[in-house]
Amino acid sequence: MKNKTHIFLLLLPFLGISAMMCVSVWNVAVQSLGYIPAFGLTNLTLEYYKEVFRNPDFLSSVLVSLRIALWSAVFACILGVALSMALIKTQKARGATLYAIRLPILVPHAVVAVFVVQILGQTGLIARLGYALGLLEDYTEFPQLLYTPSYFGTVLAYLWKEIPFVAYFVLAFMSGISDTLGEAAENLGASPIRGFFEVTLPLSLNVIAKAFLIIFIFAFGGYELPLLLGSTLPKALSVQTYLSYMNPDLLQRPLAMAMNGTMLLLSAAISFAYALAIIGLNRKIGGAK
Amino acid sequence: MKRIVALLLVIVMVLGLFGCGAKEKEIDPASASWDEILAAAKGTTVTFYGWGGDENRNNWLNTTVAQHVKENYDITLEVVGMNIDDILAKLSGEKQAGSNKGSIDMIWINGENFYSAKDNGLLWGPFTDKLPNMVTYIDLTDPETLNDFCMPIDGYEAPYAKAQMVMYADTAVTPDLPASAAQLLEFAKANPGKVTYPALPDFTGSAFVRNIIYELCGWEQFQTMEADYDTVKAAIEPALEYLRQLNPYLWNEGKTFPESSTTVDSMFADGELVMAMSYGPFSVATGIDQGLYTETTQTFVFDNGTIGNTNYMAIGFNSPNKAGAMVVINAIISGEIQLTQYAELRELPVVATEKLSAEELAAFDAVDLGKGVLSQAQLLSHRLPEMPASLVPIIEQIWLAEVVGK
Repeated sequence: MKNKTHIFLLLLPFLGISAMMCVSVWNVAVQSLGYIPAFGLTNLTLEYYKEVFRNPDFLSSVLVSLRIALWSAVFACILGVALSMALIKTQKARGATLYAIRLPILVPHAVVAVFVVQILGQTGLIARLGYALGLLEDYTEFPQLLYTPSYFGTVLAYLWKEIPFVAYFVLAFMSGISDTLGEAAENLGASPIRGFFEVTLPLSLNVIAKAFLIIFIFAFGGYELPLLLGSTLPKALSVQTYLSYMNPDLLQRPLAMAMNGTMLLLSAAISFAYALAIIGLNRKIGGAK
Repeated sequence: MKRIVALLLVIVMVLGLFGCGAKEKEIDPASASWDEILAAAKGTTVTFYGWGGDENRNNWLNTTVAQHVKENYDITLEVVGMNIDDILAKLSGEKQAGSNKGSIDMIWINGENFYSAKDNGLLWGPFTDKLPNMVTYIDLTDPETLNDFCMPIDGYEAPYAKAQMVMYADTAVTPDLPASAAQLLEFAKANPGKVTYPALPDFTGSAFVRNIIYELCGWEQFQTMEADYDTVKAAIEPALEYLRQLNPYLWNEGKTFPESSTTVDSMFADGELVMAMSYGPFSVATGIDQGLYTETTQTFVFDNGTIGNTNYMAIGFNSPNKAGAMVVINAIISGEIQLTQYAELRELPVVATEKLSAEELAAFDAVDLGKGVLSQAQLLSHRLPEMPASLVPIIEQIWLAEVVGK
């Protein structure tokens, strides 16, 4: 009995946060269906969702956000895992190196945006260097990497932060596998590369997939980087939603909430697909044993 | 004995209650006289919410204005920097929650935000007819006292400062400054990739586009235009065509625009752009003083004029200290505080020149505006009225659909 109270107490902060989240989700749901009595809106309707989906700008926003999320997550995972393996193989997965990896994780996204602008902007460090060395006659000759509809700058900024995150996230687990089963494979005659691809990597997929999902969902809903480094059109979903939310015409509020609701539903659907994929993966690994 | 003590205690407590009750007796700010309002405001704190991005203004509010109201009315002024969107979101959240005691007393506001806030019952009023300084200092028949972006004010806000759209460039880099939209196009062609404006709905970017619309379509027809997408689009078609023609010569070829006027300013200061714009007519002088701009930076306006507007102070619908807010607003529209605003912040004052005493007038004339700016007279003779607030979001929408990347 005493034990149960103990567990309940430990769960309290989590329950508090969950309760707040439920209230927010409820608010989004209700307002997106057009129920905001304070502004004289009391009819429940799906009209706002329909209107949002009829808007081509909104659909291109969804695509842009999905693209940013996908590129960020894919490249962060590939390069993060590579970094992690390199550290393991060179025996550097501890001490000072580990702290150095953690550093970018602590830097806020807005600050990363400033770094990216100052290094890769048309008047950034590299462009100025090129100008000083006489490679460029005018800074406008430096290719515009940021603010493009391809969202290259945004993805780059995410990678700057998320590659170390993936490395840090999978390092302990992968190093455990590599030191035991990976080396066993090598002792049995597998090349280090084969040992990595056939033993360490498949067994770590579960953890890597977790990192992938975290980055994907975060980049999908992230606001600062696409705002500061993105293009005027198409806007990322979060930026578009915020703009509608801030529209001085308060009757636009249900539209903003419908966009928000779509973002929530998509995130939930992706998490669900992830859960299915993980179950499938575990079955496969389990079956191979 | 015990009983007597208990009785005494009860009497003391009851008296105490009455005492407190009398002290906290609230006046009805809507019907109270000015003296009652002054008395109720004494010893209170007033919060002033508004855009906090201008350090000089924050400084002026926190020192000059705060000291003035403390010494004269015993009011503590608390300035809170917050974007107007967030202020309105906060107020509408409180309205939805049915909260009658909010935290926002005064709000710095104008235009479409005022229109929407008043329309949705987020403001308290009317109150300007209670302020003695409205009669003493303000021209009550001035269209900008009566209407804000063509919307009737109905006593829900008092003027704070006048602003006017200006552009600026460094004459050492570009000696010839454009005096019309047509010349601006030539200017952009001569400096490809080095001209741009902030992406709408940024306040300055939005005003710049309206100014281009005035250049090509005249300003009169918009004063009474119906807020309908197709009507507005048909009326501004020549301006849209012009902006599309301008695009290939803009920064990033008009595919992307900087997300705020702050970014445009810093790009100009960096030399990445040859021209920038501001809704603060004397901002160049401040920029030169602070070493952001070169000494040769010069303000200019179009020959046909640029848009001017007044920004205002309003009171939140659930303000906990409406009396205090009225006293502070009354103080800010006085000749004394408007003079400090003109001298310290170089903002166009809202007081009517003909209502000023000879001494006050001389004090205004004596203000040194600094380098690179146009005089008050030059600005006011090139001043065009704002559009109805309801057209502004429509134009922003049309711009996104018809100009960006086209």
